[in-house]
Amino acid sequence: MADLTTQRAHYSPPWADVSIIGIAGSSGSGKSTLSHAIVSKLNLPWVVILSMDSFYKSLDEEASKKAFRNEYDFDSPNAIDFDVLVDRLQDLKAGKRAEIPIYSFAKHAREEKTTSIYSPHVLILEGIFALYDPRVLELLDMKIFCEADADTCLSRRILRDVEERGRDIEGCIKQWFAYVKPNFEAYVEPQRKVADVIVPRGVENRVAIVMVIQYIERLLIEKSKSHRAALKKLGQSAENDALSENVILLKQTSQVRGMNTIIQDIDTSAEDFIFYFDRIAALLVENALNNIYFESVTIETPTGNKYHGLHATGETSAVVILRAGSTFETGLRRVLPDCKTGRLLIQSNVRTGEPELHYLKLPQDIRTHDGVLLLDPQMSSGGAALMAVQVLVDHGVPEDKIVFVTYFAGRTALKGLTKVFPGVKVVVCTTVPDFEERWVESRYLGC
Amino acid sequence: MASSEKPSQSPKQSVGPDYRPEKQKPTATVSTEVPFENVTTLSQTPQLIALLTMIRDKNTDRADFIFYSNRIIRLLVEEGLNHLPVVEHAITTPVGRTYAGVMFQGKICGVSIMRAGEAMEQGLRDCCRSVRIGKILIQRDEETCMPKLFYDKLPEDIADRWCLLLDPMFATGGSAIMAVDVLKSRGVPENRILFLNLIASPQGIENFAKKFPKLRVVTAFIDQGLDEKNYIVPGLGDFGDRFYTM
Repeated sequence: MADLTTQRAHYSPPWADVSIIGIAGSSGSGKSTLSHAIVSKLNLPWVVILSMDSFYKSLDEEASKKAFRNEYDFDSPNAIDFDVLVDRLQDLKAGKRAEIPIYSFAKHAREEKTTSIYSPHVLILEGIFALYDPRVLELLDMKIFCEADADTCLSRRILRDVEERGRDIEGCIKQWFAYVKPNFEAYVEPQRKVADVIVPRGVENRVAIVMVIQYIERLLIEKSKSHRAALKKLGQSAENDALSENVILLKQTSQVRGMNTIIQDIDTSAEDFIFYFDRIAALLVENALNNIYFESVTIETPTGNKYHGLHATGETSAVVILRAGSTFETGLRRVLPDCKTGRLLIQSNVRTGEPELHYLKLPQDIRTHDGVLLLDPQMSSGGAALMAVQVLVDHGVPEDKIVFVTYFAGRTALKGLTKVFPGVKVVVCTTVPDFEERWVESRYLGC
Repeated sequence: MASSEKPSQSPKQSVGPDYRPEKQKPTATVSTEVPFENVTTLSQTPQLIALLTMIRDKNTDRADFIFYSNRIIRLLVEEGLNHLPVVEHAITTPVGRTYAGVMFQGKICGVSIMRAGEAMEQGLRDCCRSVRIGKILIQRDEETCMPKLFYDKLPEDIADRWCLLLDPMFATGGSAIMAVDVLKSRGVPENRILFLNLIASPQGIENFAKKFPKLRVVTAFIDQGLDEKNYIVPGLGDFGDRFYTM
């Protein structure tokens, strides 16, 4: 085992080093509008906003009463739980999943539930004190301070608090003079000094928005480039290695070869293609299940004899890598009709070929499962496979519980995957030339 | 009734994938080895042993019994079909690569020995969609205690086909021998018959191997032996009852 760890190669997913952009500014200065304008212009699933409102401290009874009387100072840095914020930002920076608290203004307490943020490439941290805590500042890649005239801020704040937070005008004005204004002068305004960019007039400032967007776009291009370069390097470094013993090839029996012939023949009808693909998929899943964990068990037969057999030690679930992985589902259901099935959508960027994670839904208790089958019929460069395994590992699934099931794979891709994740097992029907274009899914799904 | 105290002649060994250290593999009783070349036993993988454990367990209900036995039957059929002839057949793939493949050759049919053998028809159809299926009814004669042929309905051109003979429990082999005789009398050569069964007894296997040396037997597991009532030990009880009526 020691030897395996020294040989392990490193893969860094594009979300491992998330870029964080902090946007601070007075209440009503247009921070959140600016953030949303940036996100909607970019329109990419991996650029997300994290509002610091989520990190208000839960109030004790006394403070809560004050809050309902509009006498609690929400605009002071003391109202924010910076420890939790820093902790979550560090998780995200490390590429891990972060559970973000939900603050209820109706109860002045955190909800039981949390929102998860996972795998953003760029995170926009927005809040009046986004540039306040030195620990946060250290994690930021760009620091923006939004500015607006005080009367603009006040009128925006009144409109928002009355409409969205159910307050009355009198209360709002009381708060403004008692807390917002003094806090602005004492704590908010000084953040200007640490900002990289100061944006006056908020969302109306088109030039500033374009500038920030260009900055983010450049970040994303760099991230994509280094991700692709890392994938390529990984492939090259693994090229001369022998195939790991964790790669289990299906025995090339005459039936397997016969089915392969029908499946691969360009002249096979769609009906036959689906029939034979389902059949081989079921066989692959049967084989994959030899790699989960069993324990000895003695049972009694109806005739009163004892048999010393085996049974699986825990739950086995599956995770389908969409779109292609859905071609395995009929085969999967023939073998495990009721297994929990997670789904994740990874698509290769049409321009760059870089795999991108678009969607993710996993069983809640996946980390406790004793076997997780990861299904994708083809492994070309292996980028999507690496990314999918990384997602499972990030969600607490131990490497040695993961069995990657595929129909076709290139040897270089197989070597890369087992080099980065030496605990993962791969069950594959047949190896094909490296970097073969994906075609099984369009054959199976007819488009 | 065979007692569980009887020393087991079946081999116990650790079962698991090659990459796993011996110590981490759990032990289980695996199929008894037999010295006959015409007998193919499925590879004793942990998953196969676990499936067999499910269907042997008296506490497994009928729905699970049907589901898990079907899974083993499919594996049996997949293995059985490997013994059919193929011819080289090169094709071009959708991405323009050529593949030196093979094409199945020859016509096949299934023949189930009623009633338990009929339980294997679904598994056969899962692999061979429109396969023809003949049926043979053989029952033990109350007076002579010998198997007696009651009924058969087989494809007319059966002499030109490879026959997959289906019967899940292979105990003494009395009815299977009679079924093979029926097939041979219809002109099917012995070497074109494959007998697929889930659990076999060493006695049945030996009888068969001597009587039909050219016929191939494909089984998932060879058990310890037979008890005084000729039930397979440890076996799984009456397959037909557990599949159809219990």
